[in-house]
Amino acid sequence: MVTLDLAHLTVREVNERLRQSGAVGEDVLVRNPDARHHIGVGLTEAITVRIEGSAGYFCAGLSDQAHFEVSHNVGWGVGDNMYTGSVIVGGNAGAIPGVAIRGAEIVIHGNMGSRAGQVMKAGTLCCVGNANFMAGYMMYGGRIIILGDSGERVGEDMSAGEIFVGGTIQELGSDAMLGDLDVAELEDIRAFLDRYKISFSGSFSKIVNAGKNLRYGSSEQQVRSLPFTSFSGRSEYWNSKVQEDIHIKSQSGRYRIRGYGGARPLPHLSDLAFRKDLSRAGEAADVVERVHMKTRIGGINGAEPLKLSMPVMIAPMSYGALSRSTKQGIAMASAMSGIAENTGEGGMSDAQRDAAGQLIFQCLGGRLGWNIHDMRRADGLEIYISQGAKPGLGGQLMAKKVTPELAEIRGIPAGIDLRSPSRHPDILGADDLVIKVEEFREATAYRLPVSVKLGAGRIRDDIKIAVKDCFDFVELDGMQGSTGAGSSEVIDYVGIPTLPAIIEALEALDEIGARERIELVLMGGLRDGVDAVKALCLGADAAGFGTSVIIAGGCIACMQCHIGQCVTGIATQDPEHEHRYKPETEARNIHRFLEGVRWQIAAITHGLGYDDVRELSREDLVALTPEAATMTGLPYEPEHAHQLPAARASS
Amino acid sequence: MCGIAGIMYKGSAQTFDTGEALIRMLDGCQHRGPDSTGFALYEEAQPGKLKLRFFLGDAADSRGGVEAIRQRLSELGATITDESEIGDNYRVTVEYAHDVQRLAYEMERAAKVISIGTSLEIVKDVGTAHDVDDRYDVHSYRGTHGLGHVRLATESDVKPEAAHPFWATGFADVAIVHNGQITNYWKMRRRLEQRDFLFTTDNDSELIAVYLADKLAQGIALNDALKTSIDDLDGTFSFLASTQDEIGYAKDRLAAKPMILYQDDDLVAVASEEVSLNRLFPGQALNTREPAPGTYATWSRLT
Repeated sequence: MVTLDLAHLTVREVNERLRQSGAVGEDVLVRNPDARHHIGVGLTEAITVRIEGSAGYFCAGLSDQAHFEVSHNVGWGVGDNMYTGSVIVGGNAGAIPGVAIRGAEIVIHGNMGSRAGQVMKAGTLCCVGNANFMAGYMMYGGRIIILGDSGERVGEDMSAGEIFVGGTIQELGSDAMLGDLDVAELEDIRAFLDRYKISFSGSFSKIVNAGKNLRYGSSEQQVRSLPFTSFSGRSEYWNSKVQEDIHIKSQSGRYRIRGYGGARPLPHLSDLAFRKDLSRAGEAADVVERVHMKTRIGGINGAEPLKLSMPVMIAPMSYGALSRSTKQGIAMASAMSGIAENTGEGGMSDAQRDAAGQLIFQCLGGRLGWNIHDMRRADGLEIYISQGAKPGLGGQLMAKKVTPELAEIRGIPAGIDLRSPSRHPDILGADDLVIKVEEFREATAYRLPVSVKLGAGRIRDDIKIAVKDCFDFVELDGMQGSTGAGSSEVIDYVGIPTLPAIIEALEALDEIGARERIELVLMGGLRDGVDAVKALCLGADAAGFGTSVIIAGGCIACMQCHIGQCVTGIATQDPEHEHRYKPETEARNIHRFLEGVRWQIAAITHGLGYDDVRELSREDLVALTPEAATMTGLPYEPEHAHQLPAARASS
Repeated sequence: MCGIAGIMYKGSAQTFDTGEALIRMLDGCQHRGPDSTGFALYEEAQPGKLKLRFFLGDAADSRGGVEAIRQRLSELGATITDESEIGDNYRVTVEYAHDVQRLAYEMERAAKVISIGTSLEIVKDVGTAHDVDDRYDVHSYRGTHGLGHVRLATESDVKPEAAHPFWATGFADVAIVHNGQITNYWKMRRRLEQRDFLFTTDNDSELIAVYLADKLAQGIALNDALKTSIDDLDGTFSFLASTQDEIGYAKDRLAAKPMILYQDDDLVAVASEEVSLNRLFPGQALNTREPAPGTYATWSRLT
């Protein structure tokens, strides 16, 4: 057995040596841990690690196969997202023990903190002492065994799985109920306790989901919606859109859910124009070669950056909202054009990974599909805090789309109306977030850039936090961004438009002198290369495209993404519909669109008199409306309105 | 968004290196708050004397600042017995026998008051625990108890006066450190302002100090004030409070903010993370516990 002493080594060094020991199969003793965080994070070999003392946050987090024994206490999130393997804790555990585990066995001999087993998917969390507040909160599967008392609101909003309590059930959580305990389950628990040498002779009560809240009470009828261009708030008080809305609600009895972006007219990049006459832009045949467009994103803190052939990335969109074939097609197109693709929520498919040249792996609060192995094969990691289309709310995936295959990847029960958690179990503030970011870096040996996706809200504060929490870049998403499913009112009325979002973000960075300490990717309703150049002029380091990429790949903008019957095979999980989507064909279409974007960026940049996109600046822009001028501080010069760049049309 | 720490050595017969202990604890959780660091330090009270501490601001006009403070103190009937300038602060000990709240409110108009107390001094500034120690000799403080705080500014500015601990302006020897966010801040603040309480920042944590001090001034025990705070304050919080003789904690019902507690025959120590507690006992596994949601407790140095 190898001994590692944290009195003389850093956690990073210890984790590095644990991986080395793992590779040769030797067990390790860790001394003087003194409650430090991230011990054993990212270990994926079947060795035993004994920790002599107490460990801090995320002990054994993002690990697989290893066996950990901690002689004393652990902090928050022991065994975070652990696949297989086990952790035995001799003392107490802090909050969220066993968060998001996917098969591991975790035994705590003392008491455990609040929200034990939050969003766990499979495996066993066993507490010999008492549990605290909300054990089993939002669990999707697996079992929790509590030999002591349950704590308040046990099983709150659990979707599946079982909680067995040997002591007193203090209070059942929302949508939890007592279930019948069968002999086989009891035998299995006894076998588990024997295996871990825990003696317990009492009886158990079993808590399961009561099934009252897994599905909406009614499903929305599928209708041919009024086209995207009509908006309920524009004209004629009881206009047809308002009526449509009321009709649908009169049938469903609840708020509407729909896909796509907002229809409400808002100040946007189209309210800006270029100061220079661009009527001759793009005349040079070799304009793409003349302009330097290669962009590196994510390397400012020493990680391996994303290498983009132009300052463009694909916006995060989930496998789930979109079909596997669609994610594959987009990934192929991104590789053909030399830019980065993003998994969005819901995990990484092999098809997507194989097809994408560079792939960002996104982590959301439900940890649906999140795991160490896919982290390792990603090119960037991203913590989603919110998105522009529905800031502060979680995703929705209607039952029709939650197929057994999709449920398997996400680790959830099939056929539920999945309402993803709107917040992370272990990120309740900027202080927790910094520890989470560090966990991701430890798990991937500081190799990958770590970004944060922020839906524009309190941008001034949020972007400063992103800098202080040491993110490499921010994906800033404005209100004009789209979604696969969101409440219709929220999509149209809640959020901060893309234009003021970036202005406020940059002002905030200037206030703390941190413009060089973070990179900024702007997204939220960007449609083409013209918008991309405007974003770059305003100060973004790159532009993100989501909806336009979907449209390039065949989307007809029917706004029925949430229903799951997408006729183009894009927003569906039904094989019959997905069959219509030809990834190779659509990848070529998307690639052609992206190459058009490239040409536009080159032509406009060149037309503005530069040979490098990094030379673009605010000085190149004017505002066409008083609103846009006020938001951006650009001069109000509406006379530029008619000077549409030739570049928009002629690619 | 922060890390908090508190320590109390039991038995008031002798003093301990509270400054050094808090520096170590805060260094242990500095990752939770790199922007600023602060300490509430309690030393033995001298009968009839008050310790006041002020921010001087820019060094260029600090002379004028000190003069103004001296003059105002004299006008209010406080006799200076000791004074010094350290770092960005002016420290002064006075003999004063009148209403402390009046003195505090009047002095607040003349200068930026950090703290007033018979035994309390608050030391806070931007930077890390070691930065602040380098500037203010925090390690030299000896006493029986104290609080500490590291801050990551989220909504208000990074400046010394926005750092914790917060003193309840007008109430000698009361300090708090807080991790979390008080969401009914404005509503509660307006209620207290209608009763003529003075707030010197827009930081939600200051509310906790004023709220508790108001209760204490009414003769309510700290323990009972902490109890009602759990109902009266809305939001997420783990906070520590201290007075001349006591420290205590309160934790919200959602358990959204961490807190861990260690106690033995000699001392009680509370912090956001166990790693801070371990800084007091390197290489030793501690029997700690996490206070339950919605709970509170106090410890007195006199018992």
